[in-house]
Amino acid sequence: MTRIPRIPNLGGAKAFVLHRPHPTVQAITRQLSAIGLVTVDCWPELLPEVLAADFVFFDADLGFDEQFPWKPGEAPMPLVALIGSEAPGRIEWALSHKADAQLLKPVGNAGVYSALLIARQSFEARKHLAGEIAALRQRVAERQTIVRAVAALSKGTDDGRAYAQLRSLAMSWQISVEDAARRIVAMTSQDVADDDTTSEEGGSDQSHRA
Amino acid sequence: MPRMPRPCGAGCGALSFLGFCLKRRIEIGILYSRSGSYQLVSDACRVGAMRAIADINADRDHGLELVPVERDPQSNADRYATLCEDIFRTSSARHVVGCVTSWSRKETIPVLEKAGGMLWYACPYEGFEANEHVVYMHACPNQHLVPLMAHVVPRFGANGFLLGSNYIWGWEMNRVARDLIADAGGKVLGERYLRIGETDVSRLIGEVRATRPSFILNNLIGTSSYAFLAAYRDLGAEDPAFSPQNCPVISCNLTEGELPAIGENGRGHLSVGPYFAPRPAAFASSFEASAYASVQVMADVLSRDPQAGPAEFSKAFAETRFSTRLGPIAIDAHTQHATLPVIIGRIADGYFEVVSRQDEVAPDPYLSRYDPAKTFGRPRLRVVS
Repeated sequence: MTRIPRIPNLGGAKAFVLHRPHPTVQAITRQLSAIGLVTVDCWPELLPEVLAADFVFFDADLGFDEQFPWKPGEAPMPLVALIGSEAPGRIEWALSHKADAQLLKPVGNAGVYSALLIARQSFEARKHLAGEIAALRQRVAERQTIVRAVAALSKGTDDGRAYAQLRSLAMSWQISVEDAARRIVAMTSQDVADDDTTSEEGGSDQSHRA
Repeated sequence: MPRMPRPCGAGCGALSFLGFCLKRRIEIGILYSRSGSYQLVSDACRVGAMRAIADINADRDHGLELVPVERDPQSNADRYATLCEDIFRTSSARHVVGCVTSWSRKETIPVLEKAGGMLWYACPYEGFEANEHVVYMHACPNQHLVPLMAHVVPRFGANGFLLGSNYIWGWEMNRVARDLIADAGGKVLGERYLRIGETDVSRLIGEVRATRPSFILNNLIGTSSYAFLAAYRDLGAEDPAFSPQNCPVISCNLTEGELPAIGENGRGHLSVGPYFAPRPAAFASSFEASAYASVQVMADVLSRDPQAGPAEFSKAFAETRFSTRLGPIAIDAHTQHATLPVIIGRIADGYFEVVSRQDEVAPDPYLSRYDPAKTFGRPRLRVVS
């Protein structure tokens, strides 16, 4: 049975709130402190320490790209957008920063806890997916290497058997098929290089002999 | 009855007229069900609140005369919000002592927010809430479930069977219990819910018998809980593995108020709370004591500032320790939860004998300071096959 991931304990986590001084900040700070987080308010710039933050809440109404020490969409922690005006341009801007959750202003007595949990979960899921996509891209990029490795192993005979051999080598080396292919291609190139060197030497020998 | 002016005592906080005290009249809402499946608990709370009102009104040195504005939701979760709204609309009350189930509390919160009102909640609840329109005067999980499990696991084992009535108290308590059991190195052997008021427990008993847990966490309420305890006693009579000495039923909301309905079936089982009635007792149960303390604390702040709203209450909580019939109480201004004693009691002959007691346990409604190593000691090693 797959166990549902447990609700994380947020005690001691650090949240930055990027918003001008406003009752919204007080309402968020009150909720964060009740949940057990440490809060840092900033406006208009984020302090350098933000890189170690666990969460960043940012104002979607008055925010701008230069406030963040990272490119839009590349925040290293979950982001929660604080949306007051639902102007499409502002929502578009908040989306460009890939906010993981949102809170509508004015912020009342609730909402922060669920925003934290949803932001954290979707940030982790996004990070996990990005990692998986990068790994798959890398594997796709190795298609040519696999073709070369299979060609090297088959030596012009049975491709099917050569591919099976490649897989069995990968298993015995305990590495991926792509890594095994790269190793075989490297070994083959080395052999070819050695052969070339030998043939050059041989050639010169022959020339000596001539 | 006409209210006679009384000679004014020093510092009583009342209005004074020609040397006589005029108690300031303040209406407060009382929102407890007078019938339904959890009536015993509701009655206990109501008795506590009404006793506190009577005592304050009879105290010539107290500046307030509290006038209860009472509504009866008849244990119907949908009636709490409308009746709370009715209190605010038809009276000057802005404080309400009431609600037993978390369901009803959550239903009432939007009304409180809209009216700027405040709910004094005198029952244990599942935590993970800190609304500034609610004062939480009974225990939250670090004051009930966590210490109870810390007590039970080393004595009986870590494998639990989790029961609950089918609403938020049972769901959330069992969610926390699942995490605690995992941290203690145990297994959840079953998790079952009954509709509120359901008394057919035969299947639950069959499952408990089949899985043989180390303890049963009982988050059933009212008549379901009584039916389960009765059937479990029969099971224990057939098989001593299910006697309270071997596999206790543990609860976080069971008090003296329900012992008459449980009778002998409760003997030996465990509960946790901020108060168990000594003999002779000032209060019959922690529900009664907590509702009494709620009115005391509210009246204490209102006697100094009759117009106090949520902001003034928050300031008063930060600055004041309140002397109540539960003992001295602090209320955490950030979460509005009370610091409380944590007492584990074993059901004896119509009362709870105290098994352990910790004083002044600060509230931690989000379990943000929970530490598995401190709660259960070193992680248990498990055999890996």
